[in-house]
Amino acid sequence: MSVESPPTDLLDRQIATLLARDARTSFRQIAGEVGVTEGTVRARVKRLQTAGLLRLQPIIDIASSDDDTPASPGRHMAFITMRCRAGWLDRVRDALLAMPRVDALYDANAAHRLVAICLVDSLAEVAAMTNAVLALEGIRDAESELVLQTIKYDATIGPIATVEDIAKLT
Amino acid sequence: MAGDSRPARRARGGALDAIDRRIIIALRRDGRAQSTAIGEDLGLSGNLVANRIRAMDAAGTMRVVAVADYRVHGYRMLARIRLQVNGRSPHDVARELAMRDDVLSVHLTSGRYPVSCLYAFASARDMIEAARDVSAGIAGVEDVDVELLNTVYRYRPAIGPIAGHGREEA
Repeated sequence: MSVESPPTDLLDRQIATLLARDARTSFRQIAGEVGVTEGTVRARVKRLQTAGLLRLQPIIDIASSDDDTPASPGRHMAFITMRCRAGWLDRVRDALLAMPRVDALYDANAAHRLVAICLVDSLAEVAAMTNAVLALEGIRDAESELVLQTIKYDATIGPIATVEDIAKLT
Repeated sequence: MAGDSRPARRARGGALDAIDRRIIIALRRDGRAQSTAIGEDLGLSGNLVANRIRAMDAAGTMRVVAVADYRVHGYRMLARIRLQVNGRSPHDVARELAMRDDVLSVHLTSGRYPVSCLYAFASARDMIEAARDVSAGIAGVEDVDVELLNTVYRYRPAIGPIAGHGREEA
């Protein structure tokens, strides 16, 4: 990894695990289960949130997401895997971050590859995204994959600390 | 309300109405906001807000969760591993892969690699061993593409399969 995260310990992990199922569980109840004070739980949660390592947020079921609401995420997931021309990664990345349907973006394999995860409502929207990506200057090639079926998924763990979160700490 | 003109959508169990959506928007700002405080902002009673949150949770349409970075859970790196499959159903390969604890998600996708997973590792050695083991140890796997996540620029886990919609337990 090119970036380092702050250290976390077993207590952080226990608290995150207890909040994973229901982030509205009272800190007092969590304190009782892990054997520390309520103030300690509160401070740990705050520290993890500030570090960008924990988010307490609603997750909408993919079947309940609604395309009628502009702010609502789409109901289908697509991966777009791109290779950039040498020296173009930063510009391509910025152009992708300006696209609202790009819900996740990372670079991979020594930064030769950019991968965007998009939540879309229709095949037409996948086509539109793919067209927009291929029209960007600096793209060598792009491959779109539509998720046909989800066999396993856990919304409560992921790469949520972005490069900006980690930069804030240093 | 948007939902009223879409009876088909409502019948699928994912019935979020306008009030639900306003509550979800408030929860996006603060997942632990008190029901009374949300109610005051939206001009609703605290009891109604609490009941709506409980009902959405029980129906599996929306859940307030703690999303933790993989580093909180003791992992050091993430890779997307995509598999080419031959002579065996990709679905069976995906289910076998999903049984592994360190495999966070598994999707069946269109394209060259019908099985795609997100795999978490505590060390580089674990990653190398897992990549080797996936290709040698799972029947039907023809080829693997291992993509180590390098820098994450954006990650918005706003939706996911919650209550079994589109999800299959391994």
